[in-house]
Amino acid sequence: MEMIDALRADAAKVLADGRAKVVIGYQARGDHRAPLFVTTADRAASLVYDDACKQNLAVYLRKPEVKLLGKAAVVASPAAMRSLVLLMSESQLTGDDALVLAVGVGEYHGVLELAQVAPLLKEKYAALAPSPELLREIEKLAAKTPEERAAFWAKQFAKCTRCYACRAACPGCYCTRCIVEKNVPQWISTAAAGHGNYAWNVIRAFHLAGRCTGCGACEAACPQGIPLMLLNVLLGQEVEKEFETKAGYDPEAKPVIGSWNPEDEEDFIK
Amino acid sequence: MKVIEANKLPGLAAALAGAGYRVVAPIRDGGEVRMVVWSPGAAIDTRAIPVNSAKDFLFPKAEIIGRCTLDGNDFRPEDVKPVAPKTVILAARPCDASAMLLLDAVFNWDYKDEFFNARRAATTIVSLVCTTADEQCFCTSVGGAPDATAGADGVLRQADGGRSFILEPLTEKGKAVAAAAGAALAEGQAKADAPVEVPVHFDAKAVTEWLGENFESPLWREVSLACLSCGACAYACPTCHCFDLQDEATRAESVRLRNWDTCGLALFTAHAGGHNPRPDQAARWRQRVMHKFSYLVERLGRLGCTGCGRCARLCPAGMAICETCREIDEARKAAVK
Amino acid sequence: MTENLYQPILMRVADVRDEAPEVRTFRLQFADDADRARFFEKYRVGMFGLYGVPGAGESVFCVASPPTRQEYIECTFRRTGRVTSALADREVGQPITFRGPYGNSFPIESWRGKNILFVAGGIALPPLRSVIWNLLDRRAEFRDITILYGARTVADLVYKQELADWGARSDVRLVTTVDPGGETPDWKGQIGFVPTVLDQVAPSSAEAVALVCGPPIMIKFSLPVLTKLGFTPDHTYTTLENRMKCGLGHCGRCNVGSTYVCRDGPVFTLDQLRRMQTTDM
Ligand SMILES: Cc1cc2nc3c(=O)[nH]c(=O)nc-3n(C[C@H](O)[C@H](O)[C@H](O)COP(=O)(O)OP(=O)(O)OC[C@H]3O[C@@H](n4cnc5c(N)ncnc54)[C@H](O)[C@@H]3O)c2cc1C
Ligand code: SF4
Ligand code: SF4
Ligand code: SF4
Ligand code: SF4
Ligand code: FES
Repeated sequence: MEMIDALRADAAKVLADGRAKVVIGYQARGDHRAPLFVTTADRAASLVYDDACKQNLAVYLRKPEVKLLGKAAVVASPAAMRSLVLLMSESQLTGDDALVLAVGVGEYHGVLELAQVAPLLKEKYAALAPSPELLREIEKLAAKTPEERAAFWAKQFAKCTRCYACRAACPGCYCTRCIVEKNVPQWISTAAAGHGNYAWNVIRAFHLAGRCTGCGACEAACPQGIPLMLLNVLLGQEVEKEFETKAGYDPEAKPVIGSWNPEDEEDFIK
Repeated sequence: MKVIEANKLPGLAAALAGAGYRVVAPIRDGGEVRMVVWSPGAAIDTRAIPVNSAKDFLFPKAEIIGRCTLDGNDFRPEDVKPVAPKTVILAARPCDASAMLLLDAVFNWDYKDEFFNARRAATTIVSLVCTTADEQCFCTSVGGAPDATAGADGVLRQADGGRSFILEPLTEKGKAVAAAAGAALAEGQAKADAPVEVPVHFDAKAVTEWLGENFESPLWREVSLACLSCGACAYACPTCHCFDLQDEATRAESVRLRNWDTCGLALFTAHAGGHNPRPDQAARWRQRVMHKFSYLVERLGRLGCTGCGRCARLCPAGMAICETCREIDEARKAAVK
Repeated sequence: MTENLYQPILMRVADVRDEAPEVRTFRLQFADDADRARFFEKYRVGMFGLYGVPGAGESVFCVASPPTRQEYIECTFRRTGRVTSALADREVGQPITFRGPYGNSFPIESWRGKNILFVAGGIALPPLRSVIWNLLDRRAEFRDITILYGARTVADLVYKQELADWGARSDVRLVTTVDPGGETPDWKGQIGFVPTVLDQVAPSSAEAVALVCGPPIMIKFSLPVLTKLGFTPDHTYTTLENRMKCGLGHCGRCNVGSTYVCRDGPVFTLDQLRRMQTTDM
């Protein structure tokens, strides 16, 4: 059976069996892919899945209106499955909040309970790595002088309109009040210019350091074409090197950014 | 007629820049075409639809509209003058040019906005007759057309199968641009290419009517499920004009900034006390559609959508206002039956 | 030449009064007399202004003083966020910025010879206070004036001195109330929620208009009582406080359906409110 047929059949089945009230998957609208919320088995045939499906649907598990529909089964790629594990490790999702229609690389893994996601990832997708092109870009950036690098990012961040599509598209960005929205005191200038843009982009990336699961949804969302994944992957590599941890594999993991260890070196405080 | 070979468009830009214009044009940078300020060497691309709209040059994403010098607890308001360089926008799409008329109406609704008006007065819009469109375009559903000239001071028509362009001035400002172009434009003959055909997807009048009676429709919750709450659609939209006012200060000086803002974001309407009259994304998406297809029609006599399709091209969640309008039109037809 | 719509004028804090916890009244004097003249040419009760501190921003408050007193204006506000905190930190003699007046007003000229009922709750007395003073300063033109004002606790009542003054007048009927449990041992007013007390006080609706301002919950439960008493929706007024930035109809923030609260309001009749596209009322 074709992968997509198996996916549609599973979607129809979980809905018919009442294991889920809604399947969150993708639909095709011309060349575009859009989320599809399937609530009856007969509509499962409209689901599609291909390389154009860049959005990380795990993001909808936190949306109040989607939650109102009842338990969801979400179509998830390995990177999106890592997001689910991240959300579990941060107590945003628990055991039976959702089912997963697990789409792997070149294969389909069927319907999983949330608890089965991490084992699958560890077994099959432990070596999930950024694309070679992205790694090459990072190397190119690393080869630049600090001044050149600063100029590169200044040029990129100047384009930012502060639309926060990157934040909205990211399952890890779930704060009810984001730091850019705090105004007593105002930490970050909200004007889409200069230092405010710089601060926003750097802080967004830092808040996802060791939490970004590499799905690329933010970069795909950015209307200004800012290469956000360059920053995300760079910070991810740092965290992996310093703390020997990779986001989204261990539901018991303590997030690096939110945990503290008395043995941590403090030589950065001068 | 005034004619220019297609590969000489940069020469036109250079001539206009030489005549003191800031030249904005669709420039290709890598995979994308954007409306940006032309500089020598930049590649003008009239075939792809620019990602951003020409609005950016009349209503910038952040602008200083107030300034005070500070002295301890005392201060003195200073004068702030609009930044309004003489500008020509070359090859703006008709859906961008017509959006100017809505922005004119909003920024002059009883109170005249000095900043917008100064830039508007300093800007000449030379629109392009579209010979290319994509599946997100729906200008013909909202009263526009690929060869419409509303809001334009002049129009560029692709001719002779794309080998050249005809520049046709429509207003005094347009004539001034043609004159400033000097030798970059030649007197000659060319045969204009046919405009692209854009299918009609829905009946805008019927949508407006339906909206007047269906504020509480369950459709809002359904069609807004995918919306993630961000500014991608509004900031790309040539007619969206919502803004925030924010102060920033150093010890010596404070500035008051006017920044883009959008009804798509949850905090847009949240009261200081925590109450939010638009509590969920369904209410916010409804505002977006209602504002464009009902409220603006009622208050300013114009649709707030020119069918450019930018919002749909950029939405991270595949939301498309054309699709919502089509669904509304269908719901209406079904209700009539 | 058009002028910068956002250019504020300068005001100086002439007096500061603490009304209730975190609630403060400023008396403000125009730094420039020409600005004062321009302001009072336009100002009618119900209108609002944007009060600001450079570096913090601007906030919308109603003008709480009447056009019958032209030496100053007053506003009463609660410290809630960035701007209101910066404003609350201003002291006597210090400047603030001001833009306005904006918005529509109460049609008080059409109320001459009528009975007027005010129903207010908590921090929402300020928009009505300007009307009350306006009518009292022109007392002979209006008939009975009844003021029902309630707050959660005695401490939360604003304008305590004025309440005492109004209460002492023979040409005003003042009823104050606090929520059950909010009273102090020496509290002389009523104890009970505003809608309940309104029902007991039962002012006549003959030849009368009603003005209601307060928290949404108070308004919600007061309206049926007013209807029962015979106040019709087109003779019942309230004000809306939607989030605003520009005050000019441009920034797109304050609309309720096709109604822009900043230019079409903030004063509305109940009748108008009911026809608005909102799920909020
Ligand atoms: C017509 C009209 C008349 C009004 N009249 C009065 C009046 O007479 N008196 C009066 O007191 N008020 C009045 N208001 C309300 C007043 O405008 C707001 O309370 C005030 O603007 C809050 O401003 P702020 O700068 O202190 O809050 P900000 O800090 O600017 O808050 C802006 C927004 O950010 C959010 N926010 C910021 N900080 C916090 C925080 N710490 N906690 C939660 N949310 C936060 C809120 O969503 C808030 O809406 C009126 C409003 C209108 C529209
Ligand atoms: S999506 Fe892009 S433009 Fe929007 S806030 Fe993020 S980085 Fe800025
Ligand atoms: S429609 Fe799309 S672009 Fe607009 S707010 Fe929703 S998610 Fe963002
Ligand atoms: S709503 Fe969308 S299609 Fe309509 S004008 Fe705005 S960006 Fe273009
Ligand atoms: S659609 Fe929303 S963001 Fe755009 S102009 Fe209307 S209210 Fe403003
Ligand atoms: S406050 Fe800006 S439109 Fe009403």
